[in-house]
Amino acid sequence: MSAMLLKKEKWPEFVEKLAGKKLWAPGADGDAMRFAPVTEGETPALDFNNTRVPPKEALFPQTETMYRFQLGAEEMEEPQLEDETVLLGVRPCDARAMTIVEKLFRWDIDDPYYVKRRELVTVVGLACSDPGLNCFCTSVGGGPASTEGLDLLMVDLGDNYLLEALTEKGETLLESAGDLLEKADSDAVKEKEKLVLEAEKKIKREVKTEGVPEGLPGLWEDPLWQNVSASCLGCGTCTYLCPTCHCFDIQDETEGFESRRCRMWDSCMFGEYTLHTSGHNPRPTRRERTRNRISHKYSYYVDKFDVIACVGCGRCINLCPVNIDIVEILKKVEEAL
Amino acid sequence: MKTNGNPYIPHTATVEETWFETYGERCIKTFKVVFDDQEVRENWSHQPGQCAMIGVLGAGESMISISCSPTEGKFLRFSVMRMGKVTQALHQLEPGDKMMVRGPYGNSFPVDEWQGKKILTIGGGIGQAPLRPIVEYVRANLDQYEGLTMIYGARTSGDLCFKGEFEEMESCSDLSCHLTIDVEEEDWSGNVGFVPQMLLDLNPSPENTIAITCGPPIMIRFVLENLKKLGFSDEQIYTTLENRMKCGIGKCGRCNAGGMYVCKDGPVFSYAVLKEIPEAFA
Amino acid sequence: MELEQLQKTAAEVADREDVKYVIGWKKGSYGYRVAPGFIEDAAGAAELIFSPLCTANLATYLTLVEKLPVPRGQEADDRKVAVMVKGCDSRAVAQLLVEKGIGREEVVVIGCPCPGVVDPELLAEKYPETEETVEIKWTEDGFLLVRGEEEIEISRDELLAEKCRLCRYPNPVISDVMLGEPVETRELVEDEGVAEIENRDVDERAAYWEEQFAKCVRCYSCRNVCPLCYCQDCILDRLNPTWVNRAVNFSENTAFNIARAFHLAGRCIECGECERVCPANIPLGRLNRKLAREVRDKYGFEPGVDPEAEPFQASFKPDDPEDFIL
Repeated sequence: MSAMLLKKEKWPEFVEKLAGKKLWAPGADGDAMRFAPVTEGETPALDFNNTRVPPKEALFPQTETMYRFQLGAEEMEEPQLEDETVLLGVRPCDARAMTIVEKLFRWDIDDPYYVKRRELVTVVGLACSDPGLNCFCTSVGGGPASTEGLDLLMVDLGDNYLLEALTEKGETLLESAGDLLEKADSDAVKEKEKLVLEAEKKIKREVKTEGVPEGLPGLWEDPLWQNVSASCLGCGTCTYLCPTCHCFDIQDETEGFESRRCRMWDSCMFGEYTLHTSGHNPRPTRRERTRNRISHKYSYYVDKFDVIACVGCGRCINLCPVNIDIVEILKKVEEAL
Repeated sequence: MKTNGNPYIPHTATVEETWFETYGERCIKTFKVVFDDQEVRENWSHQPGQCAMIGVLGAGESMISISCSPTEGKFLRFSVMRMGKVTQALHQLEPGDKMMVRGPYGNSFPVDEWQGKKILTIGGGIGQAPLRPIVEYVRANLDQYEGLTMIYGARTSGDLCFKGEFEEMESCSDLSCHLTIDVEEEDWSGNVGFVPQMLLDLNPSPENTIAITCGPPIMIRFVLENLKKLGFSDEQIYTTLENRMKCGIGKCGRCNAGGMYVCKDGPVFSYAVLKEIPEAFA
Repeated sequence: MELEQLQKTAAEVADREDVKYVIGWKKGSYGYRVAPGFIEDAAGAAELIFSPLCTANLATYLTLVEKLPVPRGQEADDRKVAVMVKGCDSRAVAQLLVEKGIGREEVVVIGCPCPGVVDPELLAEKYPETEETVEIKWTEDGFLLVRGEEEIEISRDELLAEKCRLCRYPNPVISDVMLGEPVETRELVEDEGVAEIENRDVDERAAYWEEQFAKCVRCYSCRNVCPLCYCQDCILDRLNPTWVNRAVNFSENTAFNIARAFHLAGRCIECGECERVCPANIPLGRLNRKLAREVRDKYGFEPGVDPEAEPFQASFKPDDPEDFIL
């Protein structure tokens, strides 16, 4: 696959060449809250750390119509998913998360919505040269320039972006940019390697995962769960903003006679999530819910799909209102093992 | 089978017959339904223990055990307790109305593996619904099994489901049916006491026997304890779990008990598997 | 207030036989973070701190406890919970007493007079957060940031949280133990945040809130962190009937945010926690303060000041103004 150089001043032109496709990029409203559609003529800026809401919503919207129907009728109409979308500036951790979640959405029975959106999307990554304070991707199988899940990787080389196509989709995108690009020489590639090494060194936080997937079920009754969940508020911040959390609820919503069945993100940190209609709740307190959240990511998912369902993006640490810190939890797990 | 590609889209079925198993605020209504589409009807196949997502468009869907055996005919039966939004909507359905059904979901009781064995079912309340297909399946294939013993209890005689069918069972020598209720009642000639105790009193031999239990979590816990006391090995004991579910196909994440998805890895588990999942009895 | 005194008092309270634990603030896992600490014995009290980083209102934990049924043969643990409160936090305790959300006998209140906390976002923006924990202290009229050998003087105005600029109760209104001397109450300043929105016309206001509510991800952290959002059965979780759809879109988000704000009218004690925890940075404090001001101006009611008061939303006076009813 090819590697090309794009002069930074040509970035707006590069974006223009993609016209016709739906573009999504980190919203430019100051704190880069989330990925949002790019309006015509707008040039997305790439000088952000990472968005608060992960780009998972491009493939798995927070609320998604599954089908529409009229009350009293039997016909169901599925939404037509056909827009090709380009995600610009996806961090490597978030792209890895897409491949991890895809395993579940393709497990045995394909989830038609996720799979279709995945097919329609081209993911343009942006390597991290300045990882965040709570990034620990290198501990869980990723890295600042990891290519998993990406179609194209962009690396900021100062005056230029280095563009490496990783799939057919990425190749096509490079072709469409045509003469805006120059062939990258070996110096550029060397520079990239140097930058990646430097970025890796900047990652200070670390988790040890050895023995954790096998060991977690054995810590079922360990007091650590009470300790780490004592201050938990039971809100959905850690799960909603997690790029690998993928649980959803399904509800029918009706206005007049127009009705739809839709699914929306759900959080295992909510008490209502497991509450049986009888009133019985198999996970009655935040202790059980926290234990499930961690075990699901670091043990159950590994059992089923052979990969840790955490990409080390640090969002749950950054945004937890009460400083519940997954790195600290895993430290305690390691001590207890 | 015809699935039109999207596993979330249900098939339309017509309610043919309905009747009440129990009465009261949390009454249980049974629905006999038949798929409208001939192809779906012909190709549908389920095994005892499997579930289906049933619902009403506009109200939602619930995962409900299919409470009939495939040996009974080309129809489905569901016994639904009136509990929440969806089950309330289901209870409004009368013969001729449409019910939305998708499935069948989950694994099933390994009834073929059990050939040549004695079958013991131990149910409580609405927990008899997933056990009923086993009873019917064994009845239809009596020559392949060494007989069936059924223990079934509820709070009161009015809370017992499928009452009309038990008399028929009494007349067959390979089947025995033991009913119990929690508190004494006038005109009740059966046993009075909790299901786990009745199991001990009957003292069934574990030899060449498979025990299957379903009911409220607390009952299951004591039944399992008592089966162990009677000498049943872990591999001889089966149960079927329920958890809150939304998708039925292992995506929504709601129903996991430890690392198991009840909708796909279950709902049927042998105790040998289940005892390794601490959350299963939570 | 001296740290030594705080830890000594906390140790004494934690050791009391009728106290289950003391909830206080402790150093967090990195940078500026401070985490709630649950101290069960005297030894644990050494972890506790009180600094301009102690923004969290710990009174929320009084009603956040999930009680499991007591197993047969065991007795319920009805020991008291001790909680450290700043001025604003203490108003939450008082308001909970008014509403009988908690009983006076269930709680030991450790009062911490508060010169005002920092705005964590503003702080991280101006003085980027680092891996090692950083200390911030109060000075005569500002803050002192201590990072290793480095010490940085910061003026009060530069970093003070918005809610503290408007604070009228820096000293706890209720307490069993008071730590240190009361701080001086500062002169009232105008609520510029609210005024700024009030000065817009109705279309601009609608556009402003539309933009804000559209960002909401409905994580409910604002609801859960609020010491006065403690309904066992919240209408937002209810599906039958469905008051607010679970779909996340502008209209449902608006319904949620307005329901939340209205349920807090005459109850919100302006601790600003909802705004602090919101991952979408919705200025919820402005919404709450606007309603608080309406209640104050129209009805002369101030929640969380007098534990003996009648709850605002449950009291009716024949001369209550009704001019807002269309």
